[in-house]
Parts: sequence; C-alpha cells; structure tokens
Amino acid sequence: MTRALEKYIRPGVKSTPFCPGCGHGILMGLILRAIDDLKMEMKKMLFVSGIGCAAWIPSPHYNGDTLHTLHGRAIAFATGAKLYNPDLCVMVVSGDGDLSSIGGNHLIHAARRNIDLKVICANNMIYGMTGGQVASTTPKGSRTSTTGEGNPYRPFDLCKLVEGAGATYVARFSVTQPILLIQSIKKAILHKGFSFIDVLSPCPTQYGRRNRLDRPDEMMKDLIRRCILEEEIEGLTEEERAEKIITGEFLS
Amino acid sequence: MTGIKQVRLSGFGGQGVVLAGLLLGQAGVFDGKYISGSNSYGAQARGSGCKSEVIFSDGPVDFPHLTTADILVAMSQGAYDLYCQDVKKESGLILYDQGFVTPREDLRVKHLAIPATDVSIKRLKNKQAANIVFLGALIEVTHIVSPKAIRKAILVHVGERFQSLNLKALRVGMELGRKMDG
Amino acid sequence: MPSKWVKTPFPKGRYYFSGNEAAAEGAIAAGCRFYAGYPITPSSELMERMAVRLQEVGGVFIQMEDEIASISAVIGASWAGAKAMTATSGPGFSLMQESIGYAAFTETPCVIIDVQRAGPCTGQATKVGSGDIMQAKWGSHGDYQVIALSPWSSQEMYDLTLRAFNLSETYRVPTMVMADEAIGHLRETIQIPSRVEIFDRMKRKGRAPFDSEEEDGVPPMPSFGEGERLAVTGSTHDGFGFRKTDDPQVHARLVSRINKKILNHRRTIIETEDYLIEDAEIALITYGFTARTSLYVVKRLRKEDWKIGMLRLKTLWPFPDEAVAQLGKRVRKILVPEMNLGQVAGEVRKYVPCDVHSLTQTNGEVIRPDVLIETLRRM
Repeated sequence: MTRALEKYIRPGVKSTPFCPGCGHGILMGLILRAIDDLKMEMKKMLFVSGIGCAAWIPSPHYNGDTLHTLHGRAIAFATGAKLYNPDLCVMVVSGDGDLSSIGGNHLIHAARRNIDLKVICANNMIYGMTGGQVASTTPKGSRTSTTGEGNPYRPFDLCKLVEGAGATYVARFSVTQPILLIQSIKKAILHKGFSFIDVLSPCPTQYGRRNRLDRPDEMMKDLIRRCILEEEIEGLTEEERAEKIITGEFLS
Repeated sequence: MTGIKQVRLSGFGGQGVVLAGLLLGQAGVFDGKYISGSNSYGAQARGSGCKSEVIFSDGPVDFPHLTTADILVAMSQGAYDLYCQDVKKESGLILYDQGFVTPREDLRVKHLAIPATDVSIKRLKNKQAANIVFLGALIEVTHIVSPKAIRKAILVHVGERFQSLNLKALRVGMELGRKMDG
Repeated sequence: MPSKWVKTPFPKGRYYFSGNEAAAEGAIAAGCRFYAGYPITPSSELMERMAVRLQEVGGVFIQMEDEIASISAVIGASWAGAKAMTATSGPGFSLMQESIGYAAFTETPCVIIDVQRAGPCTGQATKVGSGDIMQAKWGSHGDYQVIALSPWSSQEMYDLTLRAFNLSETYRVPTMVMADEAIGHLRETIQIPSRVEIFDRMKRKGRAPFDSEEEDGVPPMPSFGEGERLAVTGSTHDGFGFRKTDDPQVHARLVSRINKKILNHRRTIIETEDYLIEDAEIALITYGFTARTSLYVVKRLRKEDWKIGMLRLKTLWPFPDEAVAQLGKRVRKILVPEMNLGQVAGEVRKYVPCDVHSLTQTNGEVIRPDVLIETLRRM
C-alpha cells in the first residue's frame, strides 16, 4: 500500500541517515501512517528525541515541531513542553539506550506521573551509533563490542518496567508486524496518559554481524520467526518459548 | 530608639527560636524599620544549637549579621554560655529562662530571669509557647517593637490553629515583663 | 528591544522576605509561569514559594525526579512558550551543566538561581560559600556564554531575578542568579513596586530562529505549536535547525555568534556600583554577601581617614572588565574578598596593572568585618 506521506516530511529532507537493513526507517514510515490515518494536525505535534540513531527518526525529518535533546533527557524535556502547553500532542521517539539506560530514571517517573506522552522506543538491543556496545536491553549471551564473550547480564523487559512504574498503555511490536504496530501507535496517540511502545527494530550493522545474523534479511527473518502474540504461547514447549519474543498489547 | 539595635534569640532546635525571630523582625517592618534577620542552625531539624538574629535600624543595614548584641535571649544553658560574652557591657541586656539557665555573675550586663517555660507549661498548658512568652517580656521591657505590630506579625505568620495560643502567650509574657520593670 | 510595564501580581508594599522568597516573587513579577525543580538546601524555600505562587497565578509547577530533569523540563517549557526557571545549589548546579550548555547552544531563555553553599561536593549543606562563580561561566563543555548576576540583599534577589528574566529573554541565553546561602536566607525589609518593566522574546513568523544577519544578532524565537515547524537540536545546526555536523563554516559561525551576541552587548548587560572611590587609594572589588561586609568596613575605615572605596559587581558574567580596568588605573591597591579561593580575584588580575590582593575564606561562614579590617591593616 503506497500513500502520499511527503506532506509529513520536512521540506529539504532528501534521505534518511539509516544504514541498509536498519529497522528505524520502517518505523519512521509506520508512525507517519498512523498519524495519517488519524488525520493528526502536524502543527500541533511535537516530536522529542534524545541522542542516538533512533533520535533521528523524527528529527529533523518530521514536518511538525521537533526537539532533538541531550542523551537520555528526551522525556524530561517533553514533560516541560507538555505541561506548559497541554494542547500539544507530544510524542517521544528514541532508542533503548537513550530511554532506558541513561534516561531510565526519567522513563519510570514519567510513567509514574502518567503524564500524557506517547513514548516510542526503537529498541535495537544495542548502542548503534557509538559502535555496538552492550545495552540494558541486550539479551543475555549476545556478543557486543564490549561483551566479546557474551553479555553476562539479563536485559530489561521494558514493558514490564514501565507497567510496574504506572504507564497506562503498554505494547510491544516488531517492525516486522507493521499492521499491528500502526494500530498500536494510533491507540497510543489517542490514549490519554503515559503510553509506551517497545518497538523491536533490527540493527544488522552493530548487532547482527556480531551475532551470526550477518545479512539484513536474516535479522528480519529472525524477528518474524521469534515474535509471537501472547495468545500463541500456549502449546509451546519450555525450550520453544525461551527463544520467542512475546508481542502484543499488555495494557490498554 | 535611634540608630541600630542588634538582638540575638538563642536556644536549641524545636524551641521556636526561628519563629520568634521571624515575628520580631516582621513586627519591626510593620513599625517602619529597616530589618535584617538571619538564622543559624545545624543540619538536624531538632535538638541542635539554634539562633535567630534581628537587626533593627532607621536606615539601610550595611552588614546584615550581628557585630555585637544589644539584647540576648537565652533559652538554654548552651546558648547562654556560647553568646553571653558578645553582649555589650553596661548597655546590654540578657533575658534567660530561669528554669534552664544558671547565669554567670562576672558579666557587667543587666540580666532578667524570665520563667518562660515554667509559665508556659503552668498557665498555657503548652511548653511550646515559651518562645512567645519571651517575646512578650522582651517587648514590654525594651519597647523594641510596638505591641500592635507584634500582634499583626503573629496573625500573618502563625497558622490559624495556634493564633489564640500565641496571642495569649504574648500577653502572659508582657505581664511578666511588667513585673520585671516594676 | 521593546519592553512593557506591567502590574505586579503581588500587592505593592514593604515586606519582610527572605532572599529565597523575594527571588520567587521577582520571578512571578517577571512573568515566570513555569518552574521545575528538585529539593536542595539552601534553596528549597524558593521552590516551595513557587509551588504556591504558580498555582495562584495560573502557572505550572512540577517537582522533578532530579536536577537534570528539572533544567531539561525548563528548557522544554521555554520552547513551548513559557518564561521558565529552576533553582538549586552546588550539587544540583553541577548536575544541570550539560543542559545549561544545551540552552546556550540552542539559544533557549531560562533562569537558574544557584543559592551557593559550602563546597566542593556535598560539603556543608547548610553553610555559605561562593565557590560556583567559575562553574557558572565554564561549567558546561565547549565555548559559550551565559549571563550571571550577583545579588547582595533580599531586595536584589527580587530585582535581579526580574532582571535575569529580562536579559534571558532579550538575548536568548541561560541567565543565572548567583546567590549564596547567606543572601538566600537573609530576611530583610523589601519594597515591592506596583509596576515593573518586562521584556519578552521576539517573535517573527517565517524567520530563521537560529541565525542572524548580524554576527552578534539574536534571532527571533517562535514557540512549539505555532505552526513554525521548529527543528531544535543541540547538535550544530543551520539557521532553520538542520543538523550540520560536518560543516566547519556552519559550526564556526554558530559558536562565534552565540558568544558575540553576549560579549558585544556587555556594556548594556553589565551593572556595577561604586562606593566612595573618588579619592580612594585602596579599593575593594566585591560581590554577593561579602559586598555587605565590604560596605560596612569601607564606611568604618573612612571614619579613621582611610582613603578606601569599593566597586560592587552586580554582574559577574560577562565579567565587568571595563569597570575593573578603570578602577585599577586609579588606585594603588585592590583587595578582592570572597568566599572561595580567589575565583574573581583571578579575573580582576587580568585587567589591572596595580597590586591585587585576595582575601579568601572557605570555612562555611561569611567574611566578617573584623577579618576584612585585619586583612586591610596588614596590606
């Protein structure tokens, strides 16, 4: 399905900065499709991002107001803007390291306040821009540029984290589930309160090539194979279940 | 009163020293004075040494902390021992709580023993009002602020629940002061 | 820059305010309608009063999870159109530095009040110090400018906080009020006027919000939601906010302008006050609470026929180079008393040919008149 989405792109933007095979470009388009479906007025939309590859999804590409902030602080900046001007629809689009590691404190406190922000976490499970270092979301055992023998620690389950902190819309989808993800983004936009979507987005450049998923299409296929909906868990053996990633709406 | 008067209220945390200083300074402002007031206390909210200083002046105050004291109110022995020597010889005045403080005999400073805590417990059924009893006595003896101004200060800075207690404590203190003067 | 006179939202009159309370009232008078902060001694009373007052005047108050969040929310609110501020003390001021650099580079008006305490580190939380003067100027990385003011009374906590907002809006620059514990907690008789002059940021539709034809110009600043489709970034950017992270000319031009827009306007930003310097042979250069000690001492020594005067720095950054240089030509000796190890004395030495002595005190207490007099007698 092709659509005229150019009007949502800032004049002067010619290409995206993402690597071949990166999932962020897909997410970039899916967010705009959700906005287009809802006929949102771009001049009332503020997109806030931190630092990292994912922070470039909205900034400066989207043709609303964009606020590209410091590493980890997107939610704090967004909180100030939203509180002062509640008429703005404020969406935070940033990466897993930015939102949950350096910015983890702001994430849980914004969830606790249930402040009306739509937080979309482009989760590639690694620090992409800085060269593939381990993140708070990197699966245990994965190799990164700072865990050559495999990550010894468990990752955050970001959905459980924000749900525990008080978020009122929580979902996880992969960029390989575009229809579901668009629906979820639309729900987040319409939801009044703190919404969080953990979006799995492959990083072949930094993650895949260190973890035997050398080609972009291998990473995509891997996500398609592993992402299942909550209701599909039943009937799986313990072993089968362990390698799956459970997606869906956890709180709405 | 002309020129500058320097007043130090002292005791330990929890006795209401800071509130007494605030009320005294506020009353001075109502009387049209230039006031500089400051407090000092430790990091603990209760129990450590505490002082509140108020400077009364007819014009802008240059150095806003005390350089010497014209008047010392000592609500504890520790505070008395620490500050009694800063009080001006001959012209100075020390008011102390006679239930808590044993004064020195070698200072050439006028002393007035105020049974503030005792009176506060017996007549007001609340030892927390001793600070205001002291204020009443101080005002009656020195006329440093007007009774009208201090009453107005109490109404501005004390919560409604405690206003009548504080106004009563003030009256009781002023009675004590009158007896001292007489 | 157009200004307007507005009625103050607090009844005109004489009040007995602490410096912290007075600063809050000055902020409200200036039009501040957003405060985000985190508790820290000795600044907390300022936040507590803002919590009450912003509710009364229809503004927004929020206590954030830390100081980084506080200054970041302030910057977000400023771009949403608010006159916004926070207040803190040393440890919190340290945490805020990265975002202060962001505000300088994105040209975001905001006011930060630092009620300085005895540092370094946690130091003595309830005691006074003045050790953050250099940090105010150099605390964030890279080359940038800020404005920093230094109040010496409760009245000036009101007046200079008001002025900090005016300067911040005029020059689109983070502006600091470098108070200290002694001034923050000092209660004094202060006069609240019925009307005050306030300055608002300039808005021009369609114009570049991050560039100016003049090399020291201040561009107009639209707000989010006005249809200007702003692109704000802390990376190097062109006039319309597009990241230019590889272009040497764009970077040099932007860094140069955000510095020149302050330095080239320093004659209107800087305020100093002279006391008794006409025939002075010795001068004190002083600021903050210590200026009160200094004035007391100058008057006292004048009675002993000393030819002594003082220059008070109401603005610390940009540094009052001209006033200091002129004084340096007139007097034989200068003494800079301060509650740090000579942070301003070092600046003074850059601009004067005469002897510059430094009285430093870092014991958590104010410099008392006898200490200053003793130092002068020994000089």
